Amino acid sequence: MTTPSTPSGDMQPRDATYWAQQGTNLKLSDVPAGAINLNVEGRSVVGPLQGFGKMWQKTYRVRLVDALVQPTEVIATWKENFQSFWPKGNRFYAPLTGITPGEVALLNLKTGGMPLSTGVLVLYADDESFTLMTPQGHMFAGWITFSAYVDDGATVAQAQVLMRANDPIYEMGLTMGGHKQEDKFWEHTLKSLAARFGVLAPVQIQAVCVDPKRKWAHAKNIRHNAAMRTVLSAPSRWFHRGRKQ
Amino acid sequence: MPARTLEAHIRHHQPRVTVIELHGEVNAFAEETLNTAYGEAEGQNPEVILLNFSDVDYINSTGIALIVSLLARARKSHRQLLSCGLSEHYVEIFNITRLADFMSVYPDETSALADAAKDTTH
Repeated sequence: MTTPSTPSGDMQPRDATYWAQQGTNLKLSDVPAGAINLNVEGRSVVGPLQGFGKMWQKTYRVRLVDALVQPTEVIATWKENFQSFWPKGNRFYAPLTGITPGEVALLNLKTGGMPLSTGVLVLYADDESFTLMTPQGHMFAGWITFSAYVDDGATVAQAQVLMRANDPIYEMGLTMGGHKQEDKFWEHTLKSLAARFGVLAPVQIQAVCVDPKRKWAHAKNIRHNAAMRTVLSAPSRWFHRGRKQ
Repeated sequence: MPARTLEAHIRHHQPRVTVIELHGEVNAFAEETLNTAYGEAEGQNPEVILLNFSDVDYINSTGIALIVSLLARARKSHRQLLSCGLSEHYVEIFNITRLADFMSVYPDETSALADAAKDTTH
């Protein structure tokens, strides 16, 4: 739907280096040891408009009260130790170059007790925020933006998800406890981040349904479902691992 | 360079098109301005709302998310949301984030309005 554009004579914008330069298809520069690389290479990234389910904006915030820490320090710590703040059993394999625009990270997760191998593109990263975008087959189509800012004298760390379930199976899963599970995931993450700065504080959660309509035209996204593919490919992975040993 | 707070001005162009002229930066602090302007434009019940980004020099990822939520609102009420005046850099960002799959992007207001007029006469 894009018509060729644009006003001419543009100078290099100041945020040019903050955005991913690669197109919509993911390319992995390396596969960290121990990571399962499935459902990522060659997949297109998908925003909330390409998903199937209801569109949600979920915001998780923690106030780092009494911690003398600047937003840039919070984001630097978050980027460097991203995986360590996650609940046990979930792995984020950061790229060797760290969380930098255009890099792809592998994710090996447990959702509802089931393994899920997927990934994310680092869509945007500056000193005060970074955004991850999901590929086809991920639980949801969308972005997660991690940011920190000063509000009323305290630094606030925030994760904001703008998402739609990618397909009808995921939508059913989210409706039947998946949203609650996701809330717990990010609550744990933000509490762990706050604890790193010596703060024990509650996490505020706000969920807004931006669009209650389901996009039935996108129900066919189910063919990319990474959870199903991860489970179906397990016997072959076990077989190959057995042969190597 | 100090950040420019977002300002929005609303103009009617044709009875069925409302233009939201944006000036400044589209970031987390733009939410209220953007939502208020969109609400005001929507109140005039146009078929098409055109976002003019000619005087926007910075959009971050939170800003893109705000634009997505406007697009969701527009689609919910069966309105067309168009954009124009984006720099080459932001056209590329609209492509990478796949916003451009759902939102026509025009080089300037004249071409956007000409296309909108064609659509509404069909």
